[in-house]
Amino acid sequence: MLIKFLCRIAVVATTLVAATAAKADITVYSAGPANLIGALAKGFAAKSGIKANVFQGTTGQVMARIEAEANNPVVDVLISASWDPATDFDARGWLVAYLSPNAEKVPAALKSDSAVAQAVSALAISWNPSSGTPKPVDWSDLAKPAFKNLVTIPDPAQSGASFELVAGLAAESGSWKLFEDLKANGAVVAAANADALNPVLQGAKAAVFGAVDYISLAQQKAGESIEVLFPASGTVIAPRPMMILKWTKHTEEAERFVDYVLSDEGQAAVAKVYLIPARSDIGADRPTMQDIKLMPVDATVLDPKRSETLAAFAKIFGH
Amino acid sequence: MYRAGLIVWAAAAALVVLVALPLAFVVLQAIFPDLGQGSFAHPFGHVLETLGDPQLLGLTRNTLILGTGVVVGATLLGVPLGVLRALYRVPLASLFDVILIVPFMIPPYIATLGWIMMLQRHGYLAQIAGVDGAPFLYSVGGVVFVMSLNLFPVVYFAVSRTVEAIGSRYADVGRVFGATPLRAFARITLPLAAPGLAASLLVVFALAIEEYGTPAVLSRQSGFAVLVTAIQMRVADWPIDLPGAAILSLLLVCLSLVAFLLQMRILAGRSFVTIGGKPQADAKRALGPLALPVVLLFSLVGGLAVGVPLFAIFATALSKTLSGGLAASNFSLDHFRAIGADENGGLSALANSLTLGAASAVATGLIGAAAAYAVVRTRFRGKLLLDALTIMPSAIPGIVVAVGLILCWNQPALPATPYNTPFILLFAYSCILLPYPVRYASAAFRQIGDNLEAAARVSGASAGCTFRRILLPLILPSLVSAVLLVFAVASRELVASIIVAPVGMATVATFIWRQFEQGSVGLGMAMSSIAIVVTTAVPLIAMLVSRQRGIFG
Repeated sequence: MLIKFLCRIAVVATTLVAATAAKADITVYSAGPANLIGALAKGFAAKSGIKANVFQGTTGQVMARIEAEANNPVVDVLISASWDPATDFDARGWLVAYLSPNAEKVPAALKSDSAVAQAVSALAISWNPSSGTPKPVDWSDLAKPAFKNLVTIPDPAQSGASFELVAGLAAESGSWKLFEDLKANGAVVAAANADALNPVLQGAKAAVFGAVDYISLAQQKAGESIEVLFPASGTVIAPRPMMILKWTKHTEEAERFVDYVLSDEGQAAVAKVYLIPARSDIGADRPTMQDIKLMPVDATVLDPKRSETLAAFAKIFGH
Repeated sequence: MYRAGLIVWAAAAALVVLVALPLAFVVLQAIFPDLGQGSFAHPFGHVLETLGDPQLLGLTRNTLILGTGVVVGATLLGVPLGVLRALYRVPLASLFDVILIVPFMIPPYIATLGWIMMLQRHGYLAQIAGVDGAPFLYSVGGVVFVMSLNLFPVVYFAVSRTVEAIGSRYADVGRVFGATPLRAFARITLPLAAPGLAASLLVVFALAIEEYGTPAVLSRQSGFAVLVTAIQMRVADWPIDLPGAAILSLLLVCLSLVAFLLQMRILAGRSFVTIGGKPQADAKRALGPLALPVVLLFSLVGGLAVGVPLFAIFATALSKTLSGGLAASNFSLDHFRAIGADENGGLSALANSLTLGAASAVATGLIGAAAAYAVVRTRFRGKLLLDALTIMPSAIPGIVVAVGLILCWNQPALPATPYNTPFILLFAYSCILLPYPVRYASAAFRQIGDNLEAAARVSGASAGCTFRRILLPLILPSLVSAVLLVFAVASRELVASIIVAPVGMATVATFIWRQFEQGSVGLGMAMSSIAIVVTTAVPLIAMLVSRQRGIFG
């Protein structure tokens, strides 16, 4: 029996090794939705004849794999869900400088010499309209009595975007009062995005404070009772940078992949999963950058104070 | 006792490759922060900083509280049921055995999600009966409750197999000399069953302190964080801190080693031999008037451990939307249809998981039997270390085991490597799951008298032949239980699978997790229910076949 199983695995392995060794394949590590990177890899293969082997996980999982593999890396193109790895990898000298011709319509804030956004997500209030609560307009509404014990907050220690939102709001007002009020109003911190959204869908809670917008938008389209509201006082966005790693042996093919993601077809795939396309000239069936008010956030000021900020937040929410 | 032979060498070699090597790289990662880049710079750079965290003491204390709580909970549930099952003719016993296997098939994070969807405000229970169980669920008690229900079958199967092997013969002797039934059980049967019980409790403790999802989702809201929570923080998002995660994992390993040494201490210097070659009638007693209460007890525990999570899983899988709730208009087979149509590669994920689960079960079963034989029945230097090796991986969070495996097998100097092939998953599952067969088999070996082996050797059998013809058949029931557990857990392992899976390969768990991550709870739950049904059917068939061949008597 053992032999049979091992044989089956060996067959799978051989196919896989053969596939990996085939000429000009590239390996893409991607955070973010599995269906998006799947669609992009498929479209890219159809268009260029180049196969993109995909590894998909959370930003943390993708980075853990890259860090552990750094001695003998296999990744050619990396797509992260937050911009920080792009800055850090650039400082380490790990990135190939490349500006795709298709990146012309990508706003300057969403590209650098060595990275360009694939898409953008924004944080929002995800609100269940059948929860019997008044429609919230701004972050502070969730600290009002109508939302007593009905709000979840994704943990800023586990998501870069949530951290920016919390740090940005605290820096803007110069105090932690909003979060103290939320805590006093019974808001709870959820482990991650899905843990924050599910209770709202089932009706145990009424709203998520700072939900990743595209997940809720997709659920709304699937018929769930959920609305995505962008607060009047502004929110933060998380651009998702694409980078080509300097150890790649397929620079040419990797560049073609980046070009493809930024092509009309690639950006349409981005819009299809309700992310905001990086190119400003591509429309989407959702609010885009022009429609969303952004908070002034200076990462160079906020990031160095990361552990302080997280500690202050943790202290308020008692964990 | 015989000197180390081929079996010992084979077991030791397998354990070194599968367990010791990746663990060694976890230790190296803890010491050398830049190990991933092949650099040995800044040794111990992170150790002081990580261990100097003032919260660490509280986290360790909470971890111990949780581990002990779950051990107590699993004992209270598993021991009475296991003993009843072993000594009495419980009506529908085989059916209950099958039901109590199911908790292994339900990934812990899904079971927890099931409980949340059941008990939270406006949850399924509130929709059916108007009861809001959220305050209980989101507490330390709630975590211990949910985790005990997930893990007690480990104890149940160990106790029922060990006590069954002891039978009621020894207690009957006590009765003849005037002991009350309770006294005979407490002073004779239970102490003789100590190896099986202690081994299973050790596994429960290690698994409880390693589990992340349940405490993260349920108890953090009430301010109860554990070591795994702190490990997860370090690898959740950029910037990640692998050395810090490795250091805290080693702390978890130390806690498990203390539990392991405690277990050794309890078992040391005593004999548990109950199988000496004398023929014994394995007559089970009738329950008499207690039959109905006992069946009700089994049903209640089975209903809580299996019924509740399964109800939530199936209800969600069969609902069009989560916000639609339990309503006829919200019923839909769309999620199952999507998986059947293989739109997102769900079917190949299922095939991958079943193949890997079966391969891991066979591999760990063989290695586990050999390792347990080496540890219990032979004498050699480093025996305790070899034994201890087999408990360590179960205390390390999957993500850290995965990083250890990558560091170990992605060395550029290696001429051939399982990394980036499906074999790396087999390595990962074998590493994480070897504790089950080793613990179960060594408990079984402790019950077998030396005289059987001696008799075989006197009659001219070689050590290998004795192992194969005498010892293996005697430990087979315990080993089969353990191997079925390995199959179940390997076919649903999540975290290590995500990180080390070869590029482009999905398993059941990674498929489900990706659906959840995109908010498609219904699709994830549909896949979970298919996986639970399939993975339950496989051991079921194995049990039926083995019963025909007489393995389960």
